[in-house]
Amino acid sequence: MTQQLALVRREIWEHRSIWVTPTAVATVVTLLGIAMVVAVAAFGDTMQIDIAKIADVTVPDTVRRAALAAFLLSNTFVFLIAMWFLAVFYCLDALYAERKDKSILFWRSLPITDAETVISKLLTVFIVIPLATFAAVLVTHLLSLIIVSVWMGIEGANPGRFIWGSVPLFDTWIAVFTILLAIPIWLAPLLGWFLFVSAWVKSGPFLKAILPIAILPILEFVVFKSWTLGMAILTRLRLETMPIFDFRGGAAGFDEDDLHAMLAEDISLVAWLDYGSFFSSIEVWAGLIVCGLFATAAIYVRRYRVDS
Amino acid sequence: MTSLVSAKGVSKHFGELHAVDNVSFEVEKGKIMGLIGPNGAGKTTLLKALLGLTDCQGQLSVLGLDPFRQRKELMQNICFIADVAVLPRWIRVSQLLDFVENTHPNFSRKRAEELLGRTKIKRNSKVRELSKGMVTQLHLSIITAVDAKLLVLDEPTLGLDIIFRKDFYANLLNDYFDGERTILITTHQVEEIENLLTDLMFINDGKIILDASMDALPDSYVELLTSGEDAEAARRLGPLHERDVFGKKVMTFENVERTLLEKLGELHTPSVADLFVAKVKGAAA
Repeated sequence: MTQQLALVRREIWEHRSIWVTPTAVATVVTLLGIAMVVAVAAFGDTMQIDIAKIADVTVPDTVRRAALAAFLLSNTFVFLIAMWFLAVFYCLDALYAERKDKSILFWRSLPITDAETVISKLLTVFIVIPLATFAAVLVTHLLSLIIVSVWMGIEGANPGRFIWGSVPLFDTWIAVFTILLAIPIWLAPLLGWFLFVSAWVKSGPFLKAILPIAILPILEFVVFKSWTLGMAILTRLRLETMPIFDFRGGAAGFDEDDLHAMLAEDISLVAWLDYGSFFSSIEVWAGLIVCGLFATAAIYVRRYRVDS
Repeated sequence: MTSLVSAKGVSKHFGELHAVDNVSFEVEKGKIMGLIGPNGAGKTTLLKALLGLTDCQGQLSVLGLDPFRQRKELMQNICFIADVAVLPRWIRVSQLLDFVENTHPNFSRKRAEELLGRTKIKRNSKVRELSKGMVTQLHLSIITAVDAKLLVLDEPTLGLDIIFRKDFYANLLNDYFDGERTILITTHQVEEIENLLTDLMFINDGKIILDASMDALPDSYVELLTSGEDAEAARRLGPLHERDVFGKKVMTFENVERTLLEKLGELHTPSVADLFVAKVKGAAA
């Protein structure tokens, strides 16, 4: 256990992007929040911003809660996209960097198996990266709410009642945390492939990982006149297709109106997630098995390659 | 004596290339063994096999373990420094110590701190900020702080200046070697380690061409400095190798009676470097 923790800690030291990316996104989102408040203060008469309606006493509580949850979620989407990229690029670098900087023999001179090393990479992408992103989301949510509270206070309204007394903070956080954990699980087959490529190739892991993903569907179309593989890959790449979402499969997919409509009925975000569907999904388990196979191949390559 | 390393018929082939070819040898506890060979002779491949970093054919046992299949257990009692086993450049010295402390059961943080205290290496420096000599000092401090039975060094002082090289071997003898531990070392700078070695092994084209204790070398090998007709007579005794030095002939003999050679010129025990050249060129002739 101590050893595995040390290995995961090494990942955080080596791949600074694990905490730099969420921190950078948090900073940008917070600064945009400040800019928005300044803009509203300066051009309040001509700008229509939903949050301004929160202090309207005639607005029902459910709508206020919906508006605040929508506000928090709008701050969160960019984190989800950033984590998507972070997970992909982390996996592409995870077993390549140690060969690129020639430190692999040093790491292998320690009493640590190749399997333990690869497991630490998987723990990082499936747990540490979502946790780091979640921490940044929490801080951003709190800062955003504080900024809005200050603005509301300046405007003469009571942020204690209209913001802190209404915001569905914990419900939103549980939902966001679940989604953050679900993203790498949903992306598991692709992440496993990227991890394997990072252990396998001598140079250019990004190109060598992407090319088969781009070329194989085209080959499938040319030979079999079908897009099965291409559609499967595209489905994995689109986060809204994750079976964790209740609205998944709707013809129109997800849009902002759906969000407002659902929240207006005071439906919590957590209730909006379908855990049962996610964990009973064949797609999820098949993806994890594919990831496991690629991870095993990565262990094998790290163990047997002679140029290390 | 107890054998720490036992190799019987060990081979490693890469397609048609026989990097290590049917090699057998033993390394006993408490020895400092020099493994000498030209580039591409198979040294590094053999060391990798000993360290469990590559699979091989034949019977290979290190500390009673199969190196490839029991690498984790083996690495608890073996340390190695290779010119290619570089420390990660992004890591801080303190992070490195933390990591090894948490992953190596036989590592003494206290001992490492003590050894680093004698250097100018700062704990918050990153490896990329250290000179090559300091990186080697750091690496040696870490492995010296591991209570390991066998230390494998593959070109450990490559690229270091003379002061760091001398310090490295002095520290190795003073801090690591205690007569109980065993060291296996390869280097091109043979002269620097000649006086440290207790045993010597030459490897060429994947085969072991010499395996002897340093004490036994003068009994088996002798160098004759001669000229003129004596040189002709000496040549008839079948020298391993012959070279010219200031107009005289220097011939290296293997298992030839000293009494036969004494009357033909001056006798010396060959240096390891000269003996190596004689064995490699003699084998090729």
